Amino acid sequence: MRQFASRYESVRSVAVKRLLGRVGFATVVLLAAAQTADAHIVASRLGDFYAGALHPLTDLQDGVLWTALGLLAGSLGATHGRWLVLVLPPGLLLGLSVGLSVGSTWIAPLASAAMMVVLGLLVALGLRINVAALCVIALVLAFMRGVVNAGGAGAATDRVLFGAGLAMCGYAFIALITALTIAFRRLDAQPSGTWRDIAIRACGSWITAIGLIAGGFALAS
Amino acid sequence: MVRRLALAALLLLATAVVAPQIRAHEASLGVLEFREVRPGAFIGRWTMEPAIGASRVDLHVPGHCFLRMPQLICGDKGLVGPITITNLGVNMSAVLLKIIPMTGASRSYTITTASPVVSVLAAGTPTLQSWIELAGTYVNYGIDHILLGADHLLFVLGLIWIVRSGWRLAKTITAFTLGHSISLAAAAFGLIGIPERPLNACIALSIVFVAVEIVKQRRGEVGLTARYPWAVAGAFGLVHGIGFASALAGLGLERRLLPGALLFFNVGVEIGQLAFVLLILALMWAHRRLNAVLPRWGDLLPAYAIGSIAMFWFIGRLVRVLGVT
Repeated sequence: MRQFASRYESVRSVAVKRLLGRVGFATVVLLAAAQTADAHIVASRLGDFYAGALHPLTDLQDGVLWTALGLLAGSLGATHGRWLVLVLPPGLLLGLSVGLSVGSTWIAPLASAAMMVVLGLLVALGLRINVAALCVIALVLAFMRGVVNAGGAGAATDRVLFGAGLAMCGYAFIALITALTIAFRRLDAQPSGTWRDIAIRACGSWITAIGLIAGGFALAS
Repeated sequence: MVRRLALAALLLLATAVVAPQIRAHEASLGVLEFREVRPGAFIGRWTMEPAIGASRVDLHVPGHCFLRMPQLICGDKGLVGPITITNLGVNMSAVLLKIIPMTGASRSYTITTASPVVSVLAAGTPTLQSWIELAGTYVNYGIDHILLGADHLLFVLGLIWIVRSGWRLAKTITAFTLGHSISLAAAAFGLIGIPERPLNACIALSIVFVAVEIVKQRRGEVGLTARYPWAVAGAFGLVHGIGFASALAGLGLERRLLPGALLFFNVGVEIGQLAFVLLILALMWAHRRLNAVLPRWGDLLPAYAIGSIAMFWFIGRLVRVLGVT
């Protein structure tokens, strides 16, 4: 039985290596073939809904912050994580409506960097926070990013469609990252404290580092 | 019963509030026509002026040509080479360029924000470069069409909601693909032709049908779609395909390039459809992982939402068919 298990593991590791090799090769090919990216223009070609949905994906800060929030929620488990599906989209819409009415420049890049550091530290330290605290953090983050994303809407943009796209993107992003984190941790099959937990906490430390660098840039400029 | 009626009324009201903001297929398009009046000399005319105004379009023609609207002089080489519009954006997402030579068939090119440069092809046998340009243009156009076609996506969503996952879903989506590919080809080659307005009403009605089938399934009844999902998908795929063809026909394609353009357009539609299906399946998986499912009382909510939106479209489109407005 043990022999069979070790053989299965070695076959799986060869398969994983082969898969990683293929993914690496495909990445190199895609990067070599890549042309100038027109992210904002592509979004506008598909109308205001897709402009709203694609706008946060063109900003590194949104990507890093939402990933950090998803990692945090996923590391806390499904009972915590599922609340973000309900909290994040309304928070984004609230922030967007405030940003559209009073402008989006008052949210300093330093605030986003500070949020990255806070979320990164929470993930890296593996701190367990309760659902209410997680929802408050998510709401603050969503509000901030909603305000910032309001800068992507022009005077002629249909605000309802732009907002719907933004909320839909936030919902899909957070649901997928949180679910992927939960699936990666495999809490149902393995006890906590495995290499999978360590890998998630390592991601938290990288996010903290990115936040510190972003904060440094914000202070320098 | 009263609660269900109240729920349906609430959804219809919400749809009516949001629906005027949703335009499934509209984009800020301009149509520019260049008609050859003597060899190498063209007269340009905006048959559909973009929202920003014709005078503000930053149009660049091949280096050997001289443009002062409405005149375009290209000399012996003719109108061959790159044409660019540099200020495509929010108010003008695409421009359809039609070139009508003195002899031979007219040609059409689409300049979009994603591909703001088109290379005008010389008359004669298409080269490899012209095929690559054709592929780039029509694959993009197919992706745009399916992603902006909220009605097509809603129908696919309804099918996924009924069939859920596994081989049955793969077969259902394949049947829909086959259905719309066949009718798209038939309509593009002029073998069949259905007026656009009644067709659009039928497309909306197909979504209502799927929504009713979801309600039936949730009540424990075995509807036609649950029993033969591939047959329903294939049959309605035929209807949706004619809708795709009407979008393609609006571009006024050259006859010699039609098979290629049709193939690339269909590839684009499939890419967009596959991306949508994968996204929906990924979200369904994520919801199962998060154990974030609708409560029992909201089980019928998606079906009523899909049905209400589709019914709103159907009534609006029927009004246009009957010519009430």
